[in-house]
Amino acid sequence: MFIKRLPKFEYHVPISVSDALDLLAKHDRKAMVFAGGTDILVSMKKREILPEHLINLKGIVELKGIHYDEKEGIKIGALTTLGEIEHSEIVKDKFCVLWDAVNVMASPQIRSLATIGGNLCGAVPSADTAPPLIAIGASVKIVGIHGERSVLVENFFKGPKESALQRNEILTQILIPNPLPRSSGTYLKLMRRNAMDLALVGVAANIRLDLKRNVCTEARIALGAVAPTPIRAMQAEQVLVNKEIGEALAEEAGKTAATVCRPISDIRCSLEYRCSMVEVLTKRAVMDAYERIS
Amino acid sequence: MPITKVHHFGEGVAAVAAVDEDTAEEALDLIKVDYEELPVVLTAEEALKPDSPPVNEFMKSNIPYFSDFNFGDVEKGFKEADHIREEKFSSQRVTVGFIEPHACLAEVDPTGRVLLQGSKQSPYITWRHMCRALDIPLFRMRIVNPFVGGAFSGKHDPFDVDFAAVKLAQVTGRPVKIVLNYDEVLAAYRQRNAMDARLRLGVKKNGVITALRAECILEGGPICGIGPFNIYYFGAFLNIPYKIPAIEYHGKLVYSNRAPCGTVRGQEITLAQFALDSLLHMVAEDLGIDQVDIRAINAVTDNWRTANGMIVDVSGLPECIKKSSDKIKWKESRKGRPPGRGIGFSCASHPSGPRLGGHFGSSVILKLVEDGKVVLTHGGTEIGQGANTVFCQMAAEVLGLPFEDIIQGVSDSDTAILDSGMFGDRCTYWDGNATIQAATDLKRQLAEIAAKELQANPEELEFKDKRIFLKGKPEKGIDFLLAVRRAYYERGTPLYGRGYWAATDIDIVDWKTGKGNLAHGLDFIATAIDLHVDKETGKVTLVKAAHGDDAGQPINPLLLEGQVTGGSTHLAGQALFEESLYDEKGVALNYTWRDYKQPTSMDAPEYVVEHVHTHDPYGPFGAKGAGEASSCSTMAAIANGVYDAVGVRIKELPITPEKILKALKEKEAR
Repeated sequence: MFIKRLPKFEYHVPISVSDALDLLAKHDRKAMVFAGGTDILVSMKKREILPEHLINLKGIVELKGIHYDEKEGIKIGALTTLGEIEHSEIVKDKFCVLWDAVNVMASPQIRSLATIGGNLCGAVPSADTAPPLIAIGASVKIVGIHGERSVLVENFFKGPKESALQRNEILTQILIPNPLPRSSGTYLKLMRRNAMDLALVGVAANIRLDLKRNVCTEARIALGAVAPTPIRAMQAEQVLVNKEIGEALAEEAGKTAATVCRPISDIRCSLEYRCSMVEVLTKRAVMDAYERIS
Repeated sequence: MPITKVHHFGEGVAAVAAVDEDTAEEALDLIKVDYEELPVVLTAEEALKPDSPPVNEFMKSNIPYFSDFNFGDVEKGFKEADHIREEKFSSQRVTVGFIEPHACLAEVDPTGRVLLQGSKQSPYITWRHMCRALDIPLFRMRIVNPFVGGAFSGKHDPFDVDFAAVKLAQVTGRPVKIVLNYDEVLAAYRQRNAMDARLRLGVKKNGVITALRAECILEGGPICGIGPFNIYYFGAFLNIPYKIPAIEYHGKLVYSNRAPCGTVRGQEITLAQFALDSLLHMVAEDLGIDQVDIRAINAVTDNWRTANGMIVDVSGLPECIKKSSDKIKWKESRKGRPPGRGIGFSCASHPSGPRLGGHFGSSVILKLVEDGKVVLTHGGTEIGQGANTVFCQMAAEVLGLPFEDIIQGVSDSDTAILDSGMFGDRCTYWDGNATIQAATDLKRQLAEIAAKELQANPEELEFKDKRIFLKGKPEKGIDFLLAVRRAYYERGTPLYGRGYWAATDIDIVDWKTGKGNLAHGLDFIATAIDLHVDKETGKVTLVKAAHGDDAGQPINPLLLEGQVTGGSTHLAGQALFEESLYDEKGVALNYTWRDYKQPTSMDAPEYVVEHVHTHDPYGPFGAKGAGEASSCSTMAAIANGVYDAVGVRIKELPITPEKILKALKEKEAR
């Protein structure tokens, strides 16, 4: 009911991914990894989860930092904090849709602790980094005792607080391909107040125009907080492809997106409001992205 | 703590003390409580049903208090009216948030005397109530109040934690500290009453108000607390800030199984003003009268006696209205404004501390230290509003010392005579007057010493710039410090200044019948808020707020401005999105800061505060109280601004985006 003090647990601080994997294997179901702790520690204080072993990943240097390569794109270590992403010029310049998201997440204090990996692995429907990452075709690197694999962020979420992570696997990196010429994106988040709030609705749109005209050649639209997981609104994307971008078209895409979402009513707002806001925000995100290209 | 049954979600049923918090929690986990589910009463409507289960097992009815009054000739007033409009308004449950959660530390000395240190807004109230609850005489408890991390009226009364800490300290003989978590504060401690009101207003064609009839039901949780005063206050402050010659009021306080209510900043004047100024806007529009004009026409002026008998000595309200409308550029906005933009107005008045029953005075003691510094001890409480600063300023002014030479003493029931409380814009006014008296008392004693030194008449001496000298002749004087040293080193006399103040000439109002002058120093505000409504999302963005504020003579303009903008931002939360929610079984749904939202600085508009200087005849240096008027005027200004922006009237708080969109849809359908 009410928050209590942290329950007792064994605390581990591995300094390499392999050490972390060994610890996970050893303690198996009794262990959890954590990074910023902004979700897990609160859940433990509420007694929602009671891991006997907590494995702090923050000692693993290789999981931190932002690395940009002109050919391969950007690699963001899972332990990179939201604050570090917010302060990255390269993210702000080339991956602005992601920057939009981290800029409106939580508070500066929380952003200095919370990590992008943690935001994804928490797998809540309102995870703000998810829609932008889906919209720009990002993937995540997952490492387990039997090797590593790559999963598109789009396919990473399986349900509320459920992800593609198998038992004893660790998400290590986020990879985002370089933006193509004449493409850009926007993430819009609707909140009850203007800061420190969860998304009522989050919409990310990333579009690419052809070289001469304003015809959309590629579009990706992703929605947050309006389904059991962050989702891609492909039907809405189809509305835009091969057409000249404009207010009316963006509005049509919004209407279509509103048919894709599957929100719930909760203490923050109603299902109906969320659906109509998907429509409004999708329209606005498409137009914003379009304006950012020109 | 409950004796027979639990009344609301989060009500404590057991307390544990241990050597550390972990052990205490382990012990708490071992306590198994079997709850039998009882039917709950959650709203005023449910409470008023004839077959509703009694919330308070010691009372027969769910209606613990009525307030009914009738002033002037209401029937005649409505007959004379050219236009009458009646509307219903409602407001939600909101909770209070502050930096420091409820906390206390209790110790018992070898003689059994209790020392309680807590985070209290009105330690005197806690002191008396605790002694009664513990069945000990007052002298058996000493209460010390350290700096308080905000209160907003949420910390007046003693809580279960105070009681449990003392009890456990008595049993164990060891100090016991209890600090609540925020979720506990938000779920189970003081909230603002939910309101259902119906107002009927009669006006002449020219906008002059002729009569008002009002009904109000306040739902206040399972305790009465300050609720009877709340229900009176709602009706009393419909009498002001506008001249209403006839007024009829019927108020009911009802019990429920939601969290107990006390007061929150602005008390129930906030709700009364939301209803009255929303209705005034509607009436003005019906008659085609400008929103500024209708307020100026009806604004209370100097030497006005309200229908219920409150006496307004000085009113800067007409000037406040002018300033706020000028600063918000009202006239210009009528020529044209961007789509979705609108301006709303509201005025309000708040007393400088009402007189309640029981001890009601304020006192200050100044101790002159041998190095020439002065320690000032008062019974009011510094809760972040700046009381300490203001009193030090006042004492410095009287004694001709720099502000830095006045040091704030500790609020302690052993050394300072306790003050009746820090509420209702009371402290600057009451304790301020006591401060001036205390400083004057000390000054008189020093003047006698200096007069001997200077061979002058004590009354002819002036205190300025750390010197005591003959009036108009600064060269004929001595240093302030020399007079201090004469007292200490030659006479062996430590010097104290004593001051006390109480408005004995005002009435103890019977809250049931409401007649009387309950306070001096009615302060005024006129608020104009320029806002934007996003017609697609329904989201309201406050752009600019202009407050014309009459707090008499501002003592500290910067702190005063902070009070005005703080109160306005606070209540913008209640106007737009704050709400304590419960499920059908009375379980609180949003009692964490993640789910219960109060405004941040990012939600605040640009503020302009124009101080309208007046001189209150009873106030310290002409000052009136301040800090709560802006909380009373903000909600109607926002509701009226939303109407001005997009033409929809929301009468049920909070004015959420969903309500705006729904109303816009209905408007389009018409």
